[in-house]
Amino acid sequence: MNNKLLLIFLLVLPAVLIVITDGGGRSSFVAHADDAVEDEVEGEDDVTIDDEGPGAGTLETDAVVADSEEEEEEEEEKALQASPDAQTKIVFSKPDNYMEMPAGAIVKFLVGFINNGEKDFIVDSIDAAFRYPQDYSFYIQNFTAAYYGRLVESKKQATFDYSFMPSENFNARPFGLTINLNYRDVEGSLYQDALFNETISIIEVDEGLDGETFFLYVFLAAVAVLLLVAGQQFLASFTKKRGQRTKAPVEMGTSNHNDVDYDWIPKQTLDDMKKSPRRTPRQSPRQRRTKGSSED
Amino acid sequence: MQKLLVIAAVLATCLVHADEGQGPAWLLASKQLHNQFVVEDKELIVEYSIYNVGESVAVNILLDDQTFPSQDFDVVRGLLKAKWDRIAPGTNVSHTVILRPKIFGFFNMTSAFVTYYPTEDASEPVFAYTSAPGEGGIMKYREYDRKFSPHLLDWGAFGMMTVPSLCIPFMLWYRSKSKYEAIMRQGKKSN
Repeated sequence: MNNKLLLIFLLVLPAVLIVITDGGGRSSFVAHADDAVEDEVEGEDDVTIDDEGPGAGTLETDAVVADSEEEEEEEEEKALQASPDAQTKIVFSKPDNYMEMPAGAIVKFLVGFINNGEKDFIVDSIDAAFRYPQDYSFYIQNFTAAYYGRLVESKKQATFDYSFMPSENFNARPFGLTINLNYRDVEGSLYQDALFNETISIIEVDEGLDGETFFLYVFLAAVAVLLLVAGQQFLASFTKKRGQRTKAPVEMGTSNHNDVDYDWIPKQTLDDMKKSPRRTPRQSPRQRRTKGSSED
Repeated sequence: MQKLLVIAAVLATCLVHADEGQGPAWLLASKQLHNQFVVEDKELIVEYSIYNVGESVAVNILLDDQTFPSQDFDVVRGLLKAKWDRIAPGTNVSHTVILRPKIFGFFNMTSAFVTYYPTEDASEPVFAYTSAPGEGGIMKYREYDRKFSPHLLDWGAFGMMTVPSLCIPFMLWYRSKSKYEAIMRQGKKSN
């Protein structure tokens, strides 16, 4: 009885635990946190929808809102200009021809910065992004801004390096690449210098033998070998069956001694068998039995 | 007529550019680590590349890196100060130092600096910061060893631990085999 109770308890406990954690309960703290975030996001969505108001085609208004936001952003970006006292230069150190960037390979560039003015500059960050060449407000791949925080004193120079990797999934087609340098002077006014704003083309590198194709070939070879082995096995079994069928099975009893393999019998036993005078091996078992029974 | 104008304009810009050809040298200097992991007591390869992107020769270039204090880093090969007489425009030079960190933990690798004369007859040298690899962790040697060493000792211990489970069945088999062979031999002798 006790055992049964224990078994039922063991079966029920995990189920109950699963139900509690997965279902209504949500006992873990992480889940709570996620919920909160989701709720916030949902709340924001709700608010925007309310602002747009009912009735009007929500999709269109969405687009309009997004456009206007982007325009605002662009205007903000445009408001930031390069300082006349700063001189910049960008040099791609990898690849050699920066107009053709291989997809999935690292691209490195150096940025030179000269402070020709009297005020000190603080170089904050460099950001880079691939954009749709026909519409630069459309980001295809945005790279993490690198933060430098380098103070460049008056009449001094500095170099910054940045590297990024165009996505492996990019097709060979033109992309708009923008690289911006953000800096400020000691008085706190912000500047932005568009270091690079050109349409470059991504090229797909055709490596001779990458891992994927190599293993594909290995797999194909393995399949071929497997097929060969299977075919050989099949043929062998087929021919064997045929041969067996042609040979009519004839019961020979133990009269034919040539095809009897005595190897498995220890030699000692064999010798004993040879020595034993009681019965000849020519006798069939039935005869032997009858003889034995008669003797009995 | 328009074509002529265009050609004239191109020529003029060319001439202007030719004039600009006598602009000062401009050196971009990068400082890069070649190690994926910076490890205590393991070599750390630092490469400095200097590109002259200006229009004239840079003279008396001096590279000085004071960001590797000697109490924290040993220099294995190379020098933390390097000097070149001239770097022609459109060319680059590189300089490599191999260091060995004596410490572990976070370390901020900041910029070295380069001073050079941007023209042949410049009186004042130009001061330029190199790029900085930034703040990174120097791995503890033991941690690195645990992750990447061949683990010979561990494998040895593993081998030792597998010995009983392999040897005991073998012993049992061997004992029975030898017993059987002994019986065989006896039988032969008796024959």
